Amino acid sequence: MEFALDDEQRALQDAVRSYLRDRFGPAQVRALYDGTAGSGSDDGVPAALWKAIGEQGWLAVLVPEAYDGIGLGLLDAAVIARAFGAGTVPGPWLGTILVGEAIRLAGSKTQQADLLPRLAAGEVKGAVALLRAGSATAPAASVRDDALSGDLGLVEYAAVADTLVVAALDAGGAAGLYLVDPHGAGVTLVDHEVLDRTTRLQTVVLDGAPGDRLDAGGNDVLRDLLDRAAVLAANDLVGTARKAITDTVEYDKTRVQFGKPVGSFQAIKHDLADLHIAVTMAEHAALYAAHAQDVDADDRQLAASIAKAKAGDAANAATAAMIQYLGGIGYTWEHDAHFAFKRAKRLEFTYGDASQHRERIAQLTVDRLWGGDGPSGVTPGDSAGVQGTGVAAGAA
Amino acid sequence: MDLRYSPEDEDFRRELRSWLATALPQEMREPAFWAAKTDDERFAVRREWEAGKAEAGFAGILWPTEYGGRGGTPTMKAVYDREMALANAPTTVNPLGLTFLAPTVMALGTEEQKRSIIKPLLHNEVIWCQGFSEPGAGSDLAALQMKGERQGDEYVLNGQKIWTTNAMHGDKIFAMVRTGDSGGSKHAGISMLMIDMHQSGVEARPLKQMTGAEEFGEVFFTDATCPSDEVLGGEGNGWQVAMLLLSFERGSSAIGQYTEFHRQWQQVVALAHRIDRDTARGGRVKAADDPVLRQQLANALVELECLKYHSWHILTQTSKGKDLGFEASMTKIMWSETFRRVSDTYEAVLGTGFQVPDPQPGMSLTELTTLAMWSRSCTIWGGSQQVQRNIVAERVLGLPR
Repeated sequence: MEFALDDEQRALQDAVRSYLRDRFGPAQVRALYDGTAGSGSDDGVPAALWKAIGEQGWLAVLVPEAYDGIGLGLLDAAVIARAFGAGTVPGPWLGTILVGEAIRLAGSKTQQADLLPRLAAGEVKGAVALLRAGSATAPAASVRDDALSGDLGLVEYAAVADTLVVAALDAGGAAGLYLVDPHGAGVTLVDHEVLDRTTRLQTVVLDGAPGDRLDAGGNDVLRDLLDRAAVLAANDLVGTARKAITDTVEYDKTRVQFGKPVGSFQAIKHDLADLHIAVTMAEHAALYAAHAQDVDADDRQLAASIAKAKAGDAANAATAAMIQYLGGIGYTWEHDAHFAFKRAKRLEFTYGDASQHRERIAQLTVDRLWGGDGPSGVTPGDSAGVQGTGVAAGAA
Repeated sequence: MDLRYSPEDEDFRRELRSWLATALPQEMREPAFWAAKTDDERFAVRREWEAGKAEAGFAGILWPTEYGGRGGTPTMKAVYDREMALANAPTTVNPLGLTFLAPTVMALGTEEQKRSIIKPLLHNEVIWCQGFSEPGAGSDLAALQMKGERQGDEYVLNGQKIWTTNAMHGDKIFAMVRTGDSGGSKHAGISMLMIDMHQSGVEARPLKQMTGAEEFGEVFFTDATCPSDEVLGGEGNGWQVAMLLLSFERGSSAIGQYTEFHRQWQQVVALAHRIDRDTARGGRVKAADDPVLRQQLANALVELECLKYHSWHILTQTSKGKDLGFEASMTKIMWSETFRRVSDTYEAVLGTGFQVPDPQPGMSLTELTTLAMWSRSCTIWGGSQQVQRNIVAERVLGLPR
């Protein structure tokens, strides 16, 4: 029984953290917010950071060794996602990873050989458009004869991507995955200003855009890809949430009002205790969900939805509390609190929000538990037995 | 990451299952068996069954074999907790003795105390109560007032303890008693005395709980006596002994609670498929198809599964010999709130039907309803949720007092 990262995963975590500490810290994130990051960052992809992400192998974790990757599992990618959340890291890492996963899971040998090595090295940037706006399950695009159409809604980093993976429904309603050139014919991109300045969002509209079909990409692969996306988003969220709690606790230890540190007041410390527990549970859930995909566990779909629901709720609560428990300074542009809040808001609603994942949890459990032994079987053992259970009964 | 149990743990699981298959008759796993008995009869059956369990070598899993235990590992204890809950086996009638007193005696007791206390406790020949809370000392335990005045080779005891689990079935009580001068510190001058409850100066009275049962009570001491060698950990060291004693709850992985609450959740789901209601927007559906209740049921399951993951985390740490320390307060908050959440969902599914045991023909909900009410106590006993939050905030997060 070992529910923890192994030594190599901890080393990976340390490597990402220490790179960010030394080379891409809060000052660099702030430069993106203030628009002072300089040339090469207008597209939301700081060049030196992206180069390092490629060189360090952080895009290669899930790519098989046969295609110049490292061939590790989703848990290893989750370690990176969590550290990126804590570090408020910008760039199309997640999109590029997911394009690689789509090709790995559903692409032909030719497509894999063409793209996976370049994705692994960071030479090719990826973006994905798998869901219509507001959906956790349904694609936006439709496809006829490998030509795709539809309003894909807001797509992260579509403008810098070299290739876009689009999920589309055919006339029979079956899902497929397609590689689309985001700069090619039949594709319109509309740029937006974005609250979270560590990403970029473009509205993408397809009108007969040619797609290169990933042949094995049916409904099941799309479902699998969405679960992997949700698990990585959940890990980013718990990284964001943990950093928010840690920073808030540090601030409230020293900020004095009424002659005492504000962290000594129970109105604040009790909420922080609850948030610490919620974030800890979300960390467990995000960790297990990644592992469950790697070992193809029976409950891997359930685990993915539990992780996304719990992490979304916990990160929303933790980053909002950070603003509240810092007081006025927490609401200012000059403090970093809003970086975490805006990032959490983005990811909370990406790849299904908490209520959509809870509905899926109900479909996977409540709908399949059709009370076989009925209402009289609804009585458990003796209540006294239950009361005596577990850790000791009674106060006294 | 490897969530499998070791071959030794799996051997132990098979052995326990095979013993349970014969030692726990099917009827004892059925609610009807227990429903037909009085409180005292239930207690007696459980007491005897548990003594048999000790004979078979399935008690005190973590205890050294020299004290009648199994000499097992934390993962074996988790296997045990899970299997016993899955089998719906009777739970211990001696929880305070098993969980708290015995490990403390092993750590601090004299040889004589170890010999005289542990085996009878394990075999339920002596049922132990815990005498900590008093009417004026609940969360503020150090405000306790019960006095023990040394006269010759015994203490003369006067005072009152309250919320005493098994007060009416107890043979002995380990109690925090003021035996000396506090010297200005309310944590000083306290001793942990082990008092015979079968004497004229000790009177136990039952307290009726909101469930209607009388599983706890209050204990009055009027010139009762306790031999002076019945002190655990030395005179005047009672506060330190109590802190050590309470720390023995910390190794619990909570997998037993997960197993029980998950079964409760499944039963709530089964009910939700049987009961119709109108959704908030109108339209009559099964409760299991009501969008709002589905969110609640799913949310309860999210918390349940997180509790399971957390138990794996605890096991991973304790298997390496790490003491989780004050993180245990997190575990307590987590499992007790999860229990409440599942119970809230149960109540919401039933609606007005929660008020009666048989809202539909053939339904018998007494036990589930009792369970739902019991969940209200778990955020109080063993340190209230508010005290636990202080501990997490101050001892885990390092916030100032």
